[in-house]
Amino acid sequence: MKRKMRVLWLSAIACNGNMHSFLNYPYMEQFLNDFEFISHPILDSEYTLEVIVSNDIPCDILLIEGAISEEFQRADVPIVNIIQRYSKIVQKIVTVGTCATFGGIFRESDYKDISGLHFDKESRVDTFKNIFDKTISVSGCPVHPEILVNTLYAIKKSIALELDNYLRPKEYFAYTVHNGCVRNEYFEYKIDNHQFGALEGCMFYEHGCQAPYTHGSCNKILWNEVNSKTRAGLPCMGCTEPSFPKQNLFSTKKNMGIPEYLPTGVGKRTYLTLAGISKAFTIERLEKKLFDD
Amino acid sequence: MIKLIEKIEGEAKLHFSFKNEKIDFVDIEFTSTRNIEKILQGKPAADALVINPRVCGICGHAHLIATVQALEECYDNLKISNKAKIIRELTLNFELIQNHFKWFYLTMLPLFGEKQQVLKATYPSQLMAKAIALFGGQYPHTSYAIVGGVVCEIKEMELIKLQHYIDETIKFFEENVVVSESESFLVCDNIEKVLERNGDLPNILRVIIKNGWMHQGKSHDRFIAFGENSYFNKGKSLKTRVSNTLCIEDVKETPSSTSYAKSVSYKEKHYEAGPLARAMINKIPLIKDAHRRYGDSILSRILARVCEISQLLNHSKKLIEMLDLSEPSYIEPSLDISKLSGSGYSAVEAARGTLIHKVEIENGLIKNYEIITPTQWNLSGGTKEKLGVSQKAMIGLGDIKTAELVFKTFDVCSVCTTH
Repeated sequence: MKRKMRVLWLSAIACNGNMHSFLNYPYMEQFLNDFEFISHPILDSEYTLEVIVSNDIPCDILLIEGAISEEFQRADVPIVNIIQRYSKIVQKIVTVGTCATFGGIFRESDYKDISGLHFDKESRVDTFKNIFDKTISVSGCPVHPEILVNTLYAIKKSIALELDNYLRPKEYFAYTVHNGCVRNEYFEYKIDNHQFGALEGCMFYEHGCQAPYTHGSCNKILWNEVNSKTRAGLPCMGCTEPSFPKQNLFSTKKNMGIPEYLPTGVGKRTYLTLAGISKAFTIERLEKKLFDD
Repeated sequence: MIKLIEKIEGEAKLHFSFKNEKIDFVDIEFTSTRNIEKILQGKPAADALVINPRVCGICGHAHLIATVQALEECYDNLKISNKAKIIRELTLNFELIQNHFKWFYLTMLPLFGEKQQVLKATYPSQLMAKAIALFGGQYPHTSYAIVGGVVCEIKEMELIKLQHYIDETIKFFEENVVVSESESFLVCDNIEKVLERNGDLPNILRVIIKNGWMHQGKSHDRFIAFGENSYFNKGKSLKTRVSNTLCIEDVKETPSSTSYAKSVSYKEKHYEAGPLARAMINKIPLIKDAHRRYGDSILSRILARVCEISQLLNHSKKLIEMLDLSEPSYIEPSLDISKLSGSGYSAVEAARGTLIHKVEIENGLIKNYEIITPTQWNLSGGTKEKLGVSQKAMIGLGDIKTAELVFKTFDVCSVCTTH
């Protein structure tokens, strides 16, 4: 029988959303043929957490979900000690979700020095710098199940994934969430008439959509295989980024009428020039309702 | 004797004391909190729609619906279309259903010596997640319900897709959970008839009866539900006497010195919340029959929760028929929430029971936010004189393994309990 990769799923200061997102992976049977959890927040596992935290159980990959603080314990052992113990044993460490990667929403809770494993928002944290080179980050609040699972397969197959500055696989994070959004035309032609509850319009201009400067593949691989937030009409909240959560998530911050955050890599002058040209057109098809009666 | 309870979205510690080889008292300790209510303070009110689903990875959608309703209560005359109301009710139903499947196949089965059935948990819960994503863009953690309605617009083709997700889930239930036609199962009023059936639920019920556990896990026999919609009724049930007048001001939260879970009572008494409570208040014949025979035991509790899957699937089909797609999904509030001052509360029925949110807004910013979760009703500890619901259910049992089983029939979610 082929050997399964052994995975330790360790929850820190979390909502367990990544774990439930993982349970939405459509080919779970295949996954469980190739991987086994030595401990998991809900799936049956060979060991209890009590045994895990005080022994060196053989393991290939350590998954960390949730933000990290030296104050936080699992089974009466500080989470940092558990991470230290297992990071020596495993080939790779994967920070699952934005809390484990950057601190995320729970970075604002009262725990002392709470952060992601290697990053506190954009800044590097040195506590675990000895394992920086064997870490991969799959951020997102929650993580997309395919991104997590396929990253684990890449580890299993010893594929050298290209990573960005935050250790995120470029295969998923070189894109922006804007890529593939069905509302793209309204963005391209700068039609700023979005209303909530409508099929038409782009949320970038008024309603806080962060998709043009958020790294991720939401609109490329879709959620639950059917949709995405921006397709549904909900602005992208930038949940894969170190800055998540910003404030005023449903409205676009502007200076002199220009959005403060512009699409990644686009200078203000370029943007203004483009916007000026686009605005000169009146594209009737896009000014009207899609279903025009 | 201390037992660490695992695989409950976090952990809890049960401190048992025994007297004459029976459990005499259990102190329930939840060991951590993220203090979400404090994180919310000072934030723009609408941001609560993004933060609050992150209270919980498995029932975050209930937190979204509770948030949007609490924010809307801060307005005087806010208009919501019927269409938006129905869509919100549908997606919340779908979340309840996925919860119930996961709890039964992942948490309950192993406690009865059966193998955990991962694929039977994930297959139907993924269908329900797709159904939510159809409206909300994704599951978990969408924020698609906003003050004034929902962000999505839907067309007939989405409804056809939705119908298929629901029908496929019904088929799964009929072929696996209780092998029966839903039409006849929904009107069944005799537990003997369920026990004659094949399926994973009757199997577990037979194990319970064979082992003589059908009277275990009884608590105060007092039930409560504050959430109201087109299916659930608000009310309380004392043994079998149901009254539908409840006053939210009589709900009290008490901090605990030994646990991060605050205890919740109604008029100074602990009440059980959740599917069994809802079924008693809604007078579901099959659950009333089980309750008549076995009281508020683990058998009634498990039966009520699994049967709610079938009821909610059936009711969701009716809701779809009531949708009028020509109505607006969203009606812009006359005053933008960034300029609003006011206070409001909401109560919704989440998978594990009544969820209450209370908010105070000043000039568009959150001044105060309070969350009372279903698991606080059921799992937070009381005192020896005034036992909490799950505490009472464990007292008198002879061993810790059975106590863990009883504790988990309430479905522990430690992240929600302490939030």
